[in-house]
Amino acid sequence: MENKRIIENKKQFNLKQFFFQWEWMLVAVFIIVNIMNTSLSPYYLSFSGIMDASMTFLDKAFMVLPMVFIIILGDIDISIASITALSSVIMGVAYNMGLPMPLAILLALTVGAVCGFINGTLIVRFKELPAMIVTLSTMTIFRGIAYIILEDQAAGKFPEWYSYLGWGYVGPIPFMLIAFIVFAVLFGLLLHKTTFGRSVYGMGNNITACRYSGIKTDKIKVIVSTLMGVMAAVTALFLVSRTGSARPNIAIGYEMDVIAMVVLGGISTLGGKGRMLGAIISIFIIGLLRYGLGLINVPAQALMIIIGIILIIAVTIPNINLDKLTKKKVAA
Amino acid sequence: MSVSEFILELKGITKIFPGVKALSQVNFNLAKGEIHALMGENGAGKSTFIKVITGVHSPEEGEVYFEGHKVNFKNTRESQKLGIAAIYQHVTNYPDLSVTENIFIGHEKVSPVTKRILWNDMHKRAKELLDSVGADIDPKVQMGTLSVAEQQIVEIAKALSMDAKVIIMDEPTAALTKTESEQLYKIAEQLRDCGVSIILISHRFEDMYRLASRVTVFRDAQYIGCWGVNEITNEKLIYAMVGREMTQLFPPKENKIGKEVLKVEGLSQTGYFADVSFNVRQGEILAFTGLVGAGRTEVFESIFGITKPDRGKIYFEGKEVTIKEPLDAMNMGIGYLPEDRQKQGLVLQWGIGQNITLATLKDISKAGWLDHKKEADVAKTLAEKVTVKAVSIFDTADSLSGGNQQKVVVAKLLASDLKVIILDEPTKGVDVGAKYAIYEIMRELAKQNYAIIMVSSEMPEVLGMSDRIAVMRDGRITATLEADGITQEKILEFAMLEKK
Repeated sequence: MENKRIIENKKQFNLKQFFFQWEWMLVAVFIIVNIMNTSLSPYYLSFSGIMDASMTFLDKAFMVLPMVFIIILGDIDISIASITALSSVIMGVAYNMGLPMPLAILLALTVGAVCGFINGTLIVRFKELPAMIVTLSTMTIFRGIAYIILEDQAAGKFPEWYSYLGWGYVGPIPFMLIAFIVFAVLFGLLLHKTTFGRSVYGMGNNITACRYSGIKTDKIKVIVSTLMGVMAAVTALFLVSRTGSARPNIAIGYEMDVIAMVVLGGISTLGGKGRMLGAIISIFIIGLLRYGLGLINVPAQALMIIIGIILIIAVTIPNINLDKLTKKKVAA
Repeated sequence: MSVSEFILELKGITKIFPGVKALSQVNFNLAKGEIHALMGENGAGKSTFIKVITGVHSPEEGEVYFEGHKVNFKNTRESQKLGIAAIYQHVTNYPDLSVTENIFIGHEKVSPVTKRILWNDMHKRAKELLDSVGADIDPKVQMGTLSVAEQQIVEIAKALSMDAKVIIMDEPTAALTKTESEQLYKIAEQLRDCGVSIILISHRFEDMYRLASRVTVFRDAQYIGCWGVNEITNEKLIYAMVGREMTQLFPPKENKIGKEVLKVEGLSQTGYFADVSFNVRQGEILAFTGLVGAGRTEVFESIFGITKPDRGKIYFEGKEVTIKEPLDAMNMGIGYLPEDRQKQGLVLQWGIGQNITLATLKDISKAGWLDHKKEADVAKTLAEKVTVKAVSIFDTADSLSGGNQQKVVVAKLLASDLKVIILDEPTKGVDVGAKYAIYEIMRELAKQNYAIIMVSSEMPEVLGMSDRIAVMRDGRITATLEADGITQEKILEFAMLEKK
């Protein structure tokens, strides 16, 4: 009776499953947004047009990458825009005080890392506090420090070469886009191809089981938060390069845009689900939508409403679908 | 016998859950002003029975009579209306609300016209109720600031506020000290004298002897009998609770016991366990038994690094070690199969394969990069070794039955390079066939010189599988016994009775 059962270990390709993926939905929306933009402006649909457009939103895209990790963990970080502000202010002040620019950039990245590390440490140290509350507190603290350092002044007069970061081109492609692609590939690989990424998914689904499986859950959370801080500083580098000066009030509202891009990308706020690719497509959907509506002078407030509506639709569609599908199965 | 003699009577109750008969033709009756004890091992069906009485579950077969009338409760509200109240083991209150709010929640006193809550009336009534059970508790304080015993008294007052005629107490003294228990006994007697009937569920013989006039015993979902407390003895009662035929067969022993691997000395954790010392040797199966709540799981969670013990030493292969987190224990060669496989053992949304490799990601990767091919091979080999019933390693864990889920968790353990395997309730909620498969795996591991610790509340498997048995009661090891020639009665004596 004890005949050995054979268990399959090759994944079968399933055409239906392949097309029943959130990313295809996003691709469709992406195309719709582009069609819309094209009809709004005859100059939009050109390679250089889209390249130029991308430079208006790519600064925050750097923060989407680690935010994917944070939301997969089931946490959230709303202090990121404040980290961007703080590290840019410190970079600007340090440069104006005579620190060479490369070192000032390094300092900015360090400030970002330290802020992220503080967030992560607080989150694992006080487990009864939700990440939302922890980062709500640090959000005001970080930006508060930025204001104390610079009040409502600006720091700037950066060297010529620094503006290349935000404005420069490599051939026909913006330097910023190339930098983003490099980071996106790195983060994508980290999430999908490494034990680190596997642990992050595991923790988002069942952190207790991961702990019992010997995964250093606290360490992983701190690392992810630190990466988030570093990338917030990277955003600062590009943003300041584009605006030309560092102010304590820059990047306000960026956290909401970033979280919106991640959630629209199909990454569940309950944790454990979603892929990097979805978030990357969403960056371009929301970014280009903003750009397109900006072309016809839709006011910023109306833009927020539109993005809010898209978000609600985006997160409810999969739920509605699933519900109906399961009900059909029961009836049949 | 006229029906009306009893305030509550249940006849031929059968309750079936998918795949399990939780109650099979059980009978029970309760006289007015009687304290009736209900006893049985863990899993004998007592909790399900209580839920049938209170209307949480409706039985497939059988009849329930309340004050001589046939009733069919569909929910707890209906049973409460007639005067049946249950006070559960884990007090289900609102710690941040006041005592008064806890007593009147769901049936607040409101002004008939404006629907305003009548706080003064409620506080006054609460005070009266608490006074009537002889408790000096301020109804305005927060529930959470009270001791467990006081909270239980508040629950009793809550029952009285709903004019309860029948009060069910589920393990009321489990978390109480001696003096607190004494206070509870007095309240129970007082209620009885006022004509309230009480169903007392307790593992403690002291409770039953002290309070009850009759005792009903369940075993394996069956009604075994009902006796007057003064005509029964400890031995008779224990036999009634455990005296089943050994229907499960266990694979034969083939192990040779070798040298000591793990030794624990004086391990203590305030509030959970104290002065726990034991050792386990290669090829040995050491069972840890005792009642639920005796502190067994807590001991092993502290050894595995989930929690920290306050005192005590752990020796691994003769060397003293400190285990700060599970990874330390696993690197040493200690593996732990947690008690709650769904919460602690599995990522339910994941496939079998990813679950199996979760604890050993290092082994299926190179410098942090996952090797999916290797992972698939490892997962396949182990899943087949423990005979998981599944089609592919991509089947999700939540699609499996309890037994197969447990096999996946076992496979995950086997993926590591271990010397000591701690299995916490390895067959809990597992069907008979899968149970046997798990026993076979345990035997095989013992034969391969693993040291195995099995935490189990199920007497037959403790007796049938182990070489030695450690019995725990109230956080302490009360006996470590050689399994040969031991009886269930003897073990239960150490597990339940206070040391003389």
